[in-house]
Amino acid sequence: MTNLRRRTVLAGTAGLLAVPHQSRAQAVKPRLTVISQWTSGSDGAAITALGKKFEEKGGIWQHSPVPGFTTEMMNKLRAQIMAGDPPACSQLKGPEIAAWSKIAATTDLDAIVAAAGYEKVVAPDLARLHKPGGHWISLPLQIYSTNMLFLSKRAMDKAKADQIPVTWADFNALAAKMKAAGVTYPIANGGTRPDDGQKFEASLAGISPAAYRAAIMNLDETALKGPEVKAAFVQVRKIADWMDPNTAAQHFSTNLKRFVAGDMGMMIQGGWAQGVLLNAGYKLDDFIIAPGPTDNGKPVFLLNADAFIFWQRKEADLQAGQALMAQLVMDPAIQTMYSQITGSIPVRTDVDLSGAGWSDGQRRTAAALKEAVASNQAVLSLAHNMAQQNGVTAAMIDVITEYVKDRTITPDDAASRLNEAVEGSH
Amino acid sequence: MSEAAAARRPKVFGLARRLPEHLTIWVPLLLAAGHIVSFSLWTLWVSFTPSTLLPEFGWVGLHNYTAVLATRNWRIAFDNLLLFGSAFVVLSLLTGLGLAILLDQRIRGENVLRSIFLYPMAVSFVVTGTVWSWLLNPGVGVQKFVNDFGWMSFRFDWLINRDMAIWTIVMAAVWQSAGFGMALFLAGLRSVDTDLIKAAQIDGAGPVRLYRRVILPTLWPITVTVVVIQLQFAITTFDLVRALTGGGPGIATLLPALVVYDFMFQRGLLGRGAAAAVLMLLTLLAVLLPYAAWRHVQARKTARA
Repeated sequence: MTNLRRRTVLAGTAGLLAVPHQSRAQAVKPRLTVISQWTSGSDGAAITALGKKFEEKGGIWQHSPVPGFTTEMMNKLRAQIMAGDPPACSQLKGPEIAAWSKIAATTDLDAIVAAAGYEKVVAPDLARLHKPGGHWISLPLQIYSTNMLFLSKRAMDKAKADQIPVTWADFNALAAKMKAAGVTYPIANGGTRPDDGQKFEASLAGISPAAYRAAIMNLDETALKGPEVKAAFVQVRKIADWMDPNTAAQHFSTNLKRFVAGDMGMMIQGGWAQGVLLNAGYKLDDFIIAPGPTDNGKPVFLLNADAFIFWQRKEADLQAGQALMAQLVMDPAIQTMYSQITGSIPVRTDVDLSGAGWSDGQRRTAAALKEAVASNQAVLSLAHNMAQQNGVTAAMIDVITEYVKDRTITPDDAASRLNEAVEGSH
Repeated sequence: MSEAAAARRPKVFGLARRLPEHLTIWVPLLLAAGHIVSFSLWTLWVSFTPSTLLPEFGWVGLHNYTAVLATRNWRIAFDNLLLFGSAFVVLSLLTGLGLAILLDQRIRGENVLRSIFLYPMAVSFVVTGTVWSWLLNPGVGVQKFVNDFGWMSFRFDWLINRDMAIWTIVMAAVWQSAGFGMALFLAGLRSVDTDLIKAAQIDGAGPVRLYRRVILPTLWPITVTVVVIQLQFAITTFDLVRALTGGGPGIATLLPALVVYDFMFQRGLLGRGAAAAVLMLLTLLAVLLPYAAWRHVQARKTARA
């Protein structure tokens, strides 16, 4: 009898705790502790602006940025989780969301997401990443495509070319034409691991999005050993031969000056390169942005999305803060504000990009996403940790980066090494 | 009873007097030893667990070790370590000794030169790596400099050459630490008994013979110290490579410490990272244990003499 009563009381308390945040929000001032690596440049500006909006809605914004690589941000997050004091909200992306959600409790956002009718305006592959186990525990913030093609206007003039290449054959022809016309390196590049990875994923997804999905996203063994993967390595070799070998481990931004000057012709980069170019003082008419080459002519979109994950907290003010944050992140006006600062495109596919504040590149990217989703050609980026968890990604990028830098490795060898790397990383 | 108390008092008093001494020696020593031992044991334990993002309980036996040893990254890193470790130790030893002998000639401005040669040690490895990465970059550094003078066929592209890139790390590491060997050797050279030198000179020994037969043999203990210190530095090298080549081109210049970091923090595989760390510790022990044995033998020799 007493036992039963105690249980009823407990259940009652649990029910109280589970009461929708709205009713409790009046009592407490929403507060949010946030960890991210976004400290400077357009990323820092964007999250600061988001914090301002949060404060305007009556919240207390407590952002602790961890500058440097994503790894350092993750180390801080790990330390806080181990100490039993996770932030209410932190930056995390891709399959790492599923991996990390297993080591600490997260907040179920299903009710809030359903109330906002958000699910139907998000690309399905993206939605799946943010609801591991079927529940929304994280929300994507902004989208980039990692396979945009940037063309240097001056290099195009040198080569007397005015056609934007659509297929890889077009692309190769244009690069050869540029080389013949005196463009020193038809492909502008950096030498970092993601940079090399992007060359490969753009090649494979451009050759066959279906093979990319099977081999890279689903790690299907037949697809990994298939002809498309070898063809992709052949294409990567062509790209590598047109690149400046002297870039060593440099960031791609080091070579932007030579790219704009027409000393380098084309660049396969993420949409963020637009922001970097503009930030470096170059004009929108110095370059053209187009979707990366695809052999079937329809745009392929390699998705890269930043996101926030929400960690479970017992404090009423933090819970109210999480609810407020979730509403803000899903809000089209907030997504517009954020993407206009960083140069990305909004997660919502229903945001109108025709107005002022958006660039042609962003409009083209958004259109490409819509088209790619419709034709099932929107896939998740390997090089930017969207397709696989970090362990598998790193093992695969090892093979790719070695291949890019070592011309003695044949495409066949590279394909079988890629397969071995996948097997060895389990 | 009062007698006994009286006898005890000086003893207690002596202990109290020497308390600061004991505190300064034992407290830091125990803390440091406790730290090293406990974390080493912890790492050892983690290396046998299926830990990924966080340490987990469980037992997977030697699975992490076999997995690490099977990766190309570890094999490349270990080969690089053998090459880098031996080349770096030998070259920094020779450079340090050479500099010390040259400085030992009672030249003018010795103090200034000594500071200059020692200065690289005051620079952090990240700075060294970054500066050398620009110097060695064929597109902006030494090669371009010489090319701009008109020698167009000049090539110095080790940084982007997979087979030679490891040597750029040797170069930067030698540049950074030759001064350390120099300082120790110089001290050794200066402590050689002048009577010994004079006697040799009277016997008609030339400078080369003097160094080879008389002075250098007295430097053995210092040489061993320098080798051991440089070797353990070589085994744990991390930041220099990270800043200079980032482990590239491709994964050609990986070293074990980079592999450990990569497994633990970038791939989120704590268990494998710990296994790699334990393997690193074993390499370190392979250097330090013979050294300790050698010290022991030496100590017994001097005790008998």
